[in-house]
Amino acid sequence: MTTPATAVELPAKSPPSRFTIWGSIAAVVLTVVTAITVEFSFLEIVENLFRRNLVVEGLLRPDISQIWSERSARAFVETLQLAILGTASGGVIALPLAMWATDFGNPYPALRATVRTFNAVVRSIPDLLWALLFVTAVGIGVLPGWLALFFFSIAVVSKLTADTLDGIDRGPIEAAQASGASLTALLKTAVVPQILPAYTSFLLYGFELNLRASAVLGLVGAGGIGARIEFFRGRGEWSEVWGLVLMFFLVVFLVERLSVSLRRRLV
Amino acid sequence: MTTPQVPTRPVDWFRRVGTIVVVALVLWSLLDLEIKWERFVDLPADVWRVSVLMFGQMPFSETGKLLAALWESISIAWLGTIMASLVAIPLSFLAAENLVGRPIAWVTRQVFNLLRAVPEVILAIALIPIFGLTPMAGVLAIAIGSVGTLGKLFYETAEGIQPGPIEAVDATGAGRLQRLRWGVLPQLLPEYASFVLYRFEVNIRASAVMGLIGAGGIGNDVAQALRFKEFGTAGLGLVIIILGTIAIDYLSGRVRRRIIFGSSSASLLKKPVAVA
Repeated sequence: MTTPATAVELPAKSPPSRFTIWGSIAAVVLTVVTAITVEFSFLEIVENLFRRNLVVEGLLRPDISQIWSERSARAFVETLQLAILGTASGGVIALPLAMWATDFGNPYPALRATVRTFNAVVRSIPDLLWALLFVTAVGIGVLPGWLALFFFSIAVVSKLTADTLDGIDRGPIEAAQASGASLTALLKTAVVPQILPAYTSFLLYGFELNLRASAVLGLVGAGGIGARIEFFRGRGEWSEVWGLVLMFFLVVFLVERLSVSLRRRLV
Repeated sequence: MTTPQVPTRPVDWFRRVGTIVVVALVLWSLLDLEIKWERFVDLPADVWRVSVLMFGQMPFSETGKLLAALWESISIAWLGTIMASLVAIPLSFLAAENLVGRPIAWVTRQVFNLLRAVPEVILAIALIPIFGLTPMAGVLAIAIGSVGTLGKLFYETAEGIQPGPIEAVDATGAGRLQRLRWGVLPQLLPEYASFVLYRFEVNIRASAVMGLIGAGGIGNDVAQALRFKEFGTAGLGLVIIILGTIAIDYLSGRVRRRIIFGSSSASLLKKPVAVA
């Protein structure tokens, strides 16, 4: 007995999952509601962007000669120094903070929870907000800039290091515990050697982020090149603003090249 | 019999030179920066004083107003992310070497790199004079700032898709469109959705920050409060920013995990996917 060849039954196509359906609906609703909140309008975007304005005109004629101005050059050096100090100081603190947040690095649950909460809070505060807080507390200058980058570095480096600590080999830790090592000895001999290359590369990465961040710290009064940018912005001299921004990109680009090649060498 | 000689430890010049250079740089920065060291003495006292002012007595009657401002920040971040995705998806195809060939891909990638280099706050200070002190300046700054990162994540995914499903679809005699719909998109969409959510989490922070310089949202309220020395309001705003960011990270992380690992119970034990 043979069935006719036409009677092939196709399996039913499975419908999209409820998660997909509701997720898509939620995304669309969220988009509509948020658009209403900020009074979004495409027309406004087009009108505003194509109107004559000083900002775009300045962008077309950036004033690169700013680098020869002594004050701008000094501000660039200051930005670099802030990034170096912030990364070095914050990065050093970040290592124990990351280790004390793990179960093998901190046998006391209450203390561990405290360190974890501290890390989470530090991570949730953005760089510019740190700067504004410290400007409020200690006044304008480079000191609030350093403090801001100090905390920002703790946030970045401790997060990345904590992720690495999650995946390390437990064998050396057990060996150290079996030999009766103290907590400090355990961390020093069984944990740090495993994460040192990754940690160093996170420091370099943190430095890159800090360099970018230190450019904007000045906008709220925390020193560096941002203070110069803010100065020219206040006077509406956009050619100078864009000249400084372009040069800042050049510095960031060069430092990143260097940092990336160093990081490749490390890991 | 001579005693066995212990081999000398090999010198790691890279490490040694690196350490010296780093120490020198740190010392140079410490000595050269015009840090007012005398302020350091008062630092703990100052921080304590401001903390007490900010968190000692928070005006909880302001909560409603600040929550509305937080919602504005969230709106700015979401709309900016969506706009960036709409631009980045088509652009990312122009950056995938397996789709358009090397020269075009190279040019598009340089555009992404350039966009990634611009801090959002710089974009915001450029857009504020154009749009005024409105949330729209924030939305556009976020949108422009996210195109580079999203585009990069998107094209990397597009280049890494599995040939298997595409071959399978081809084998059924599918046309170009069917191939895209059934062979390519199912591989890309979950990843893309997860990247968009990740960027949204990042942008929440960016939009909170941009308010500090006037581009709308809760940062605006905090900056204003600090300017007028209403420390309690600033403190409450700060707490709301922190709790809001943590809550959204948690929610978004759960959704991302669900998108990538599916609904099986075993996958719930895994951590949320981290993307660089």
